[in-house]
This record gives sequence, structure tokens and C-alpha cells, in this order.
Amino acid sequence: MSTLTAGTPAATVTAGTRTSWAAVLTLARFETRLLLLRAPVLVAFAVYLGWTVWRTRTSWDGFPALQDADRATQGAPLLVGLAVLLCANQAVLRSRRYDTDRHLAVLVVQPWRRTAAHLLSVAAVALLTGVCVAGQFTWEALKPGAVGQGSPGELLVGPLCVLLFGAAGVLLARLVPSAFAAPLLIVLCLFFALLAPMASDEDSAARWLSPVVEESGPHPLPSELLGRPAAWHALYLAGLALSVALTAVLLSGAGRLRSLRAACAGAVLLTLVGAVAQSQGVPRETTEARTRYSVTPEKEQRCAERDATTYCAFPEWGARTDDWDRVLDGVRSLAGGAAQDRPLVVRQRVEARYGLAGDAAIDPATRPGEITVGTSWGGNRAPEFAVAVAGVLVAGTEAKAGGMCDGRMVTVMWLALADRPDPMADLRRVRLDDSDAGSAVVLSRTNPLSMTAAQTEVVRELLLRPKDGTAAKVRAHWAELTAPKVTTDRVARLLGLDEPEARDECL
Amino acid sequence: MPVRAIDPALLRPAVRTMPWRAIGAAGALGLLLAAVPRLMGEEADARLALDALRASAVTFALGAAFVLDDPARHTTAAVPTRRAVRHGLRVLLVASVAAVWWTAALLLVPEAVRPPAVGITVEAATALTLALSGAAFAIHRGDGARPGRAVAAFLLTLAVLGPLLTPGSWALFVPPDDPRWAAAHGRWAVLLCAEVVVGAVCAAEPGRRLTPRGLRSPSGTSGPSRA
Repeated sequence: MSTLTAGTPAATVTAGTRTSWAAVLTLARFETRLLLLRAPVLVAFAVYLGWTVWRTRTSWDGFPALQDADRATQGAPLLVGLAVLLCANQAVLRSRRYDTDRHLAVLVVQPWRRTAAHLLSVAAVALLTGVCVAGQFTWEALKPGAVGQGSPGELLVGPLCVLLFGAAGVLLARLVPSAFAAPLLIVLCLFFALLAPMASDEDSAARWLSPVVEESGPHPLPSELLGRPAAWHALYLAGLALSVALTAVLLSGAGRLRSLRAACAGAVLLTLVGAVAQSQGVPRETTEARTRYSVTPEKEQRCAERDATTYCAFPEWGARTDDWDRVLDGVRSLAGGAAQDRPLVVRQRVEARYGLAGDAAIDPATRPGEITVGTSWGGNRAPEFAVAVAGVLVAGTEAKAGGMCDGRMVTVMWLALADRPDPMADLRRVRLDDSDAGSAVVLSRTNPLSMTAAQTEVVRELLLRPKDGTAAKVRAHWAELTAPKVTTDRVARLLGLDEPEARDECL
Repeated sequence: MPVRAIDPALLRPAVRTMPWRAIGAAGALGLLLAAVPRLMGEEADARLALDALRASAVTFALGAAFVLDDPARHTTAAVPTRRAVRHGLRVLLVASVAAVWWTAALLLVPEAVRPPAVGITVEAATALTLALSGAAFAIHRGDGARPGRAVAAFLLTLAVLGPLLTPGSWALFVPPDDPRWAAAHGRWAVLLCAEVVVGAVCAAEPGRRLTPRGLRSPSGTSGPSRA
């Protein structure tokens, strides 16, 4: 501040508008530096960056769908936004706090230009947030397992929120010039942010009025099915931020400037256009496409052949074929009999009819040799897919594998897990209760399978033995091992183990 | 000079110079937040009531952060009445207001969804004491006359980050039906005691203050003005 008061008022008097804008820029640069060095902003940035880096390292198990990754950049910048709201508010009130208003009044930099400088400093922090958001998204996009495409509208939400919050802080300082207004407003915002998810249901238009609309489900949808008015929402946020900022400028004594009043009216109009356009709900074409993708996925998919297997995936997931093929090859190489080169179809399926947050189960495929794979991958999804492959190789179809309740379950689990890098850990991961003893439900993308305590005992025993010896026995007795109604005791004997002691009753 | 003799004389100016606008605004907003569960009627649940009371307590504490703001501090530093008495008087005033206010806030929440009163009161007291002892600490360490703004920012930062960053093994922000409720409130009580101790220590006038810029007078008036 002192640099400006001691600056060049004499020059500005003579040089007119251009110099006074230069003064605004100088002031903006000074305010930006001060804003970025305030403790709340520093802490907010530190927590934001730390949390983001920590999460992005392992997000989506290294296989992000970019149409989901763009939305994941929205929540954390709110923290920076709140800090900027507080500090921008206090920065505007600084001259009042130190009673330097009278000194500044003699400068040619009018109060509204000073407000503009504060708003420019907020814009600079928003730009910095934009860089952070871009960095986070680029990191996700550069992961080898990334698929899909992001939307600029979703990526803009984080920086625009910071701009909106900061502008609100400046406006608040012009409306209520006291130091306790901003903290109280923040508590109010936080409380209603907690309240908001309770009050809003899926189809309500009002939920899009809040700055960040989070919607996330466990399974990514193809980007045509999102049905989120991302671009309109970004326009709404930009319009709102501009309206708030221009109102703050108008309130600091620029009320007589026609051009500013017109700009403010334009910004309000922009906000209204965005608000109306974003509240139209999910478009009918998207709803129809969701039904089409869920019911008849084969019409939307592209297929690729690898040996005896056909991989049919939605266009955005074509790059995952190699990952699926690696797992499927591992399972197939252990199988015996005709299963070694039986033609299989891996079909990607998605249940999109219940929206983004839906977690509906998918019915198992009934066509022989057809295996379902979901839209997420990595982590537990890989062994779950292996179990589905093994189930189809042993039982013929996914539907039959789901109802299986006999010794074949041992073969299925051994086939699925024996070729995995850490079979025992994967055994725990595919079981619902993360156990490796007793009976349990085994997860898959479609209907779950179930293991009895006896089957678990045999599978655990098999997984601890060398793979090759068991593989030879499986190939030798393939027909008997995969015959329906074979008992667990018989399977154990065929594979060279003692009969299990645990109970052999299906759940 | 005996303390008892000066208190009544100090009381009126202390009442007059308290930042009643900040406390009034914070108290009103706090009551409004506490009234939300009642206004929502049937939809309100225990979780919402707890959030409302916590938000309400933070709001009042934010107002109370300005209690030790005294534009005349540099002048009153030279009077014979010790700082502990001057601070104590303000704290007593705000504490009595807070007690009445908190009772009202608790009663505003419908009984069916109200969290256990003792536990939530300890939380609210911790927030209030943090604000007051934070302000006392700021005055003790720095030489500003109005620490309220910085203390409010600090309190707000803690209130936002606390629930996000508290480790699970030292849970503080638990719902009433959580088995850790009792343990968490033991921790709240520990925090409260620690804050009271810090506040009490900071209530004393520092003897000499060595700052990087050298020795300064306790009134702070001889230093360069800080703009």
C-alpha cells in the first residue's frame, strides 16, 4: 500500500486514463502478491495440492475414465475459494482498518478502480487454480490406462468457483464494511452446502444452481450418456461471477458509467441464460441413448479379434482390449480340454438407465461363451473379470456359472487366480468379506458366485502349491472337474489333496 | 490497588467498548442456524441437528474472536489495572452472554433430535475458548490492538480443516450414535483445558518483548506505524 501512496499521483493527473489503468494493474499485482501470501490462502493451497496429489496417485486404480476425472477436479478448489473469499474481503477492508481511506481519496485512482484491482487479484488466484486443475487432469490423462474424454465445461468449474467466491468477498466488503461479515458468510455457506445434498433429488432443476454439482457412481458411463449440462453450467458460473464482480465495481462509485452498467446487465443476462439452459434436465436423446447402450450394447460397440476371442467394447474403451486379453489369456492357458481354444466373446456392458450415480446390477449373459466386462478396470476389477472368464470356461455361460453350487467352484477359482501375480491376495479381494477362510460371496460385474467353506479350504491349499503341477492335473481330469454335480471331496481327490474338513454347504 | 475496588468502575467502560455488533450479528446468525432443524420439521434428523449446533457454536465463536479488540489498547497498557483484570472482565461479560445464548440455541433444537447436551456444550465451549485464548495469545505475542480479524481467520481455517484432517485414531467430530462419542468428548475436554491454560498464561502482560527489530515498549506506540 505504501508503495502506491508514495507512487506517482502527479504523473497520473497529467497522463489521463491510460496511466490510471497502469496504476490499477500495479495495484492488482501488489494485491495478488499479498493475497497469495496470506496464511489462509497458503494453507488452503497446501491442503488442496497435498490432497489432490495424494489422491491422484492412486485414483481409479490407475485406469481413469476422463469423463469422470474432469468432474473429480471440482470439489477441492472450493477450499481455495473459501480462503480467497475471506482474504479478498479483508484486503478490501484494509484501508478502512488502518484508516487510510482519507489518504487514498486524494489519489486519482478512484475507489471503483481500486475494487477492480482487487477483483483482478482474485482473477489471478483463479487462474492459478486453473493451472492446478489442468495439471491434475493432465496427470490423469497421461496415465497409461486412461480412456474417454474430458469436458472443458467441467474443468472450468473449479477456477470459476474461486473467481465467484473471491468476487463475492469483494462485493461483501463493499456492502457490509466490517471484518466479521465474511467469516459468518462462510459458516453460512458451509452449513447450507451440508444441507444441499439432503434437499435435492436427481431431477430437480434447482440443484444446478449450486456451484459444484457432484455426481459419481462406481461405474463410469460413456461420455454421450452423461447428460450433464457442463457447458451451460460453466456459462452460468462465469455469468454469476461477472455479475457479482461488476456489482462490486458499480457499488464502489462507478454507478454513473454507462458502459459498466451495460456490462453488468449483460452479465446478469448471461447468468440467466446459463441458469435456464442448465435446468432442462437430462435430454430425451440422452435418455434414449442410455436405454440403447444398456439394452442393446452390441449395436454401439466395435469388436476386435484376438486369437479365439472377440472383444466388443464401447468406442472409448477400445484401448482396454490388451489389458482384458492379458487376464483372459492367463486363465485360458490353465484350462484343459476344448476350453483352450473355445471361441469366447468379451462384451462390455453398462447399466446407464439409472443415471450417473446408479449402481444397478447387470443380468448375467445367457449366450454361450459370452463374458461381461464393466466400464471400470484396475484394482479388484481384474480378478473379478478373471473369475467371470473362468466361470464361463467351466460352466459354459455366465448365467449357469452364477447358480453353480458344487465342486466346479474350486476349478473356477483356481483357474481365475492361479495365474495372477499374488493369488492369495486376489482371493481375499474378490470375496465380499475380504476373508480367505470360511464361506463367502465372490464378486463379479454380474451376479455374484458363492464359495462354501470346504471349497475355500481346497482353493487355498491349491493356490499355495506350485502352479504347474496342479495345471497338469486339471488338464488331465478336465472333463470330470467340469461335470455338473461333482462334489468338492471328489475334486480335492482328483487334484491330489485330502478331503476338506470344513462344511460344504452353499449359502 | 485491591482488585475488588476497581471492578465496578471498570465495568461500565468495558461494557461500552465491547464489540457488541460483532457478537450480536454472530449470535443472531447462530440462533438462525440452530433454528434450522425446527424449521425443517419432520425432515430434520439427529445428524442435521448436530451439524446445525456445531455451525452455530462456530458462528458465535467467530463473533467472540473480536471481544479483545480494543482500539485504545495502547493507551490502557499504561494504566495500573493489570491486563488480566481488563481481559477477565471482557471474558466474563462475553461468557455470561454466551451462556444465555447457548441455552437458547440448545432449546431451539427439537428435543427428539437434540444431541447429548453435555457433549455438545463441551464442543461449543472449546470453540469459544479457542477464540478467546487465541485473541489473548495474539495480543501477548504481537502488539496489535485488534487481533479479532486474524483470530477469526484462524478459527475458520481450523473449523473447515478440522473435520477433514482429524486422524481417525483421534476422532473429534463424531455423531452421537457413534461408540467413540464418549472418548471424543474426553479429547474435547482435554483441548478445552489446554486452551484455558494458554489463555490464562497469555492474560498476563509480557515483561519485556524482544522482537527482531529490537526492544520495544510494551505499549507499542514507539514502533514504526504498521500500515
